[in-house]
Amino acid sequence: MKVVGARIPRYDGVAHVTGRTTYVDDVRIPGTLWVKALRSPVHHAAITKLDTRPAEEMPGVSAVITWEDVPHLVYGPLEALGIPADEPLLAKDEVRYKGQPIALVAARDEATAAEAVSRIEIEFDERPALFDVRQAFDADCPVIHQEGNWYTHFEDDMDRRQIRKGDIAWAFENADTIVQGVYRPAAIEHAPIETQVCQVVPEPSGRLTIYSCTQALYFSMGVVAAHLQVPLNKLKVVGGTTGGGFGGKVDTATETMCCLLAMKSGRPVKWRWTREEEFLCSSTRAPWHMEIADAVTKDGWILGRKMLTLHDAGAYSRFSPYGLTKHSFHHTGAYTIPNLEFDGYVVYTNRVPTTAMRGFGVTSVSFAVETHMSRVADVLGLDPIEIRLKNANRVGDTSPNGVVYTDPSTVPTIQTIAEAIGHELPADYRTMTSEQRSGEWLPEHLVAQLGNPEDH
Amino acid sequence: MAKHRGRGIAAIEYPTGMNQNGDPSQCWIKVKPDGRIDVFAGTADIGNGSKTIQSQIVAETIGVPYDWITYDNSNTDSSPMCTGTFASRATFVAGKAAEKAALQVKAKILEIAGKELEIDPADLEIVDGEVLAKGAPQTKISVADVAGAATFGHGELITGTGAQLKPYSAIVDSETGRVDSPPHSAISYAACSAEVEVDDETGEVRVLRLQQCYDVGRALNPSQVEGQIEGGAMMGLGLGVLETCYPYYPSVDHRGGSFGSYLAPSMEDMPQIDTIMIENPSADGPYGAKGIGEMANNPQPPAIAAAVHDAIGVWITELPITPERVLRALEAKAAGEAEPRREGKKIVFDEELSVNTVSSGGIRFEVPA
Repeated sequence: MKVVGARIPRYDGVAHVTGRTTYVDDVRIPGTLWVKALRSPVHHAAITKLDTRPAEEMPGVSAVITWEDVPHLVYGPLEALGIPADEPLLAKDEVRYKGQPIALVAARDEATAAEAVSRIEIEFDERPALFDVRQAFDADCPVIHQEGNWYTHFEDDMDRRQIRKGDIAWAFENADTIVQGVYRPAAIEHAPIETQVCQVVPEPSGRLTIYSCTQALYFSMGVVAAHLQVPLNKLKVVGGTTGGGFGGKVDTATETMCCLLAMKSGRPVKWRWTREEEFLCSSTRAPWHMEIADAVTKDGWILGRKMLTLHDAGAYSRFSPYGLTKHSFHHTGAYTIPNLEFDGYVVYTNRVPTTAMRGFGVTSVSFAVETHMSRVADVLGLDPIEIRLKNANRVGDTSPNGVVYTDPSTVPTIQTIAEAIGHELPADYRTMTSEQRSGEWLPEHLVAQLGNPEDH
Repeated sequence: MAKHRGRGIAAIEYPTGMNQNGDPSQCWIKVKPDGRIDVFAGTADIGNGSKTIQSQIVAETIGVPYDWITYDNSNTDSSPMCTGTFASRATFVAGKAAEKAALQVKAKILEIAGKELEIDPADLEIVDGEVLAKGAPQTKISVADVAGAATFGHGELITGTGAQLKPYSAIVDSETGRVDSPPHSAISYAACSAEVEVDDETGEVRVLRLQQCYDVGRALNPSQVEGQIEGGAMMGLGLGVLETCYPYYPSVDHRGGSFGSYLAPSMEDMPQIDTIMIENPSADGPYGAKGIGEMANNPQPPAIAAAVHDAIGVWITELPITPERVLRALEAKAAGEAEPRREGKKIVFDEELSVNTVSSGGIRFEVPA
C-alpha cells in the first residue's frame, strides 16, 4: 500500500490557496437578475396584510414571489424518514422567527431589489414570543406552533424520545451518592467564509441549472424537486465545492426560491446572503438544556443515570428530531451504564431554526456527560482518569439501546492520554484492555447487561 | 489577583455514518484510452478532503499512481447519488462506494490484460500502473496498453460502479429505544486533556495546551486526519470559551451580526496541540477507516470546563465560559453560594438552572432520593 496512508496534498488545495477555486459567487452568467428577501422584522406575529404590487410595479423588477408561488409549500427534509413537515418555504399567514423569509424580489441589481423589498406593504399583529425551553410546557406559556410547543411525532406518536434500560429504581436505591447537575451548551454560528449563495439558470430545454453551495447535492436536489413537484431530470445541481459548511449547508436555504424566481422571470438569478443575513437569519447549532442525575457507588461505579434533555429547535423542526434521537443513543458517552431513564423533547421557540452542525446531537451530550463525570470524580474524591477507565465501555458491553460493542477504544485512548500527560496509573488500570469484562471489572451489577458480540 | 492553572480530562465516542443508517452513496469510474482514471461521485467536498481521500482509495485499489486519477463531483448529471457530506460519512460510506467501483475496474483491467497476455487473470496483479504476472514480473503489460487494447482492439469500455448502503436501523420499541440493528457504521473514540490558565481579575480563560488521542480506524491520509483533528480542536475551543449566538441565552438580545461582534477563535487563541492517532481498524470501512470529522470538536469543551474547576474551584456548566461567567462564579464562591445542596445521599448542583426552578410546573426533573 503506497497511496492509502500517504500524506498526499489536498486534491484542490493549490486552487484554494491561490484564490482560483470557482465558488458559486464566482459564477458569472450574462443577464443575471439579483435577489433580495423581505424577512420578518418580528419574532412572532400574524401577517395581516401582504401586498407586493408596489414592488412588482417598480422599474427594474422582473419577478416577486410569495408563498402563493410555491407548488408544494410545506416540505420537511426528513419526510422520507417519516418525520412530518412543519416549515413553509415562504411564510404564509404567520411568522415564527425574526428573519423568516416572506417574499423575494429579483431585479436588475441588488440595490433595486432591496428598494423593491422595502416597498412591499406588510402589516403584522404581533404575538408573545417564547425563548426559554424550560417554560414551553407551562400552562401560561404562549403557544407558538401549529403543533404545540414541542414535537409529537416520534414512533407510536410519542411526544418525546425515550430510552429505558435495566432497573433505574434499583440503581438509585442502591447508590451511595446521587450527583445531579444541569448543562447548557450554547447556540453557535457555522460562520462559513462563503455565505449562503445560489445561482439558477433556466435552460432553453426547460431544465433548471442550480449552482449550489450545498453539502449534499442529491439531497438538496430532492428538496427542490419536492417543492417544485418536478422529476429529477428537470434539475441539474452544479457544486461539490463548498466554502465552509459545518452542517449549515445541508439546509437548502436558497435553491428552491431561486428556481421559482428564475421560472417566473425566465432569467438567470443569483441570491447571495449578506454577512449580516448569514449571522442573523441562517440556522445555528442548537442550544441544549440537559439535566443529569447519576446514581454512583463510593468507589466510582455508575449504577444508573436519569436524564432530561430539552433540545431548543427554534421555530421549525428541520433535522432536530434526528439530532435528538442520535443524542439519546449516546447519552452514556464512552461508558457502560446498565440502568437508564432518558427523556428528551424537541422544543419549539421563536428563534431562528437550528440545524445540523459538526457533531450534531452528540457535541451537546459529550459536554454534559463528560463535565458530569469530572464532577462525580471530584465529589467522590476519585481520580478522574481511573473513574473513566473503570466505567469505560468494553467488548460485550451494551449501548443505551441494546447494541453490543464489538471494538471500543475508550480504554486505549484514555491510557494514551494518561501517559502523554505523565499521569501515573495503578498497575491494574495501566494493564486494562478493551477485552470483555472479568474479575474486578465485572461487578455484579454489570453481569446482566453483557451481550454477545457474535450477535452484531 | 492571580492567574491559576488547571487541567481537565474528557473521553468521548462518536458514530460514523447517519444515525440509523439508510444513507446511500454511489460511485462510478471510467477508464480513458491511455489508462487514466475518471471517478464520478456526488460527494461534496466541504473542506473535509473527500476528493483527495476517494482518489487515494481508487488509486490504491486499482493499483495505479495517484496522479492518474481525475475526480469529478461537480454536478448531478454525471455523478451518481450520494446522500451528502455530513454525519462523518464521506470517507467511510462514500469511500466504500469508491472502493467497490474500483474493484470492478480492476477486475476488468485484469480480464483484458489476461486476453492480451494469454494468462489467467487470477494469476495477474496490478502494481504501479502495470499488470504483472504473479511470480514472473518480467511478463507484463501496462494499464495504459490494456486500456488502449480495450478501446481499439476489443471494443470495450472499462467501467466500474459501486454503491454502499447500510439499511435503515429501525427503533423496534418506542418505550425503550431499542433498535433492530446497530444504528451506526462504526464508532470512533477519543480522549483529551486541556490545560488552562484562568485570570481571576479579568475572568479570562486561556487554553494553553490540548493533548488529544483519537482512534481513527486507519489514517488514509495522516495529514488530512491531523487537519480535521486540529481544526476541530479550535472549533471545540470556540465552543468552550468564546462562541455564542445569544450571549444572554435564552434572551435573544445582543446577538452579534458580524465577525466583529461574534467571537470565533482566531490564530491568537491557538494553543499547543499534540495529536496522537491510534489505529483500531473498523471491520468494514474502506481500508479500516472510521469517520472522525465531526467528533473532533466534542472533547474540548468538557475538558476545558474540568480544567477551569481544577484552576479556580468552580463548575461553570453553561457555555461558553466567558470572563463574565467566571467572575460571577468566583463572586458566588466567595459569598458561599457555590456549594451544591445536600439532601440525604443527593448532591444537587446548578439548581437555579433547573426546570424545577424555572418552569412553573409544566415539566419536572424528578430524581429519586
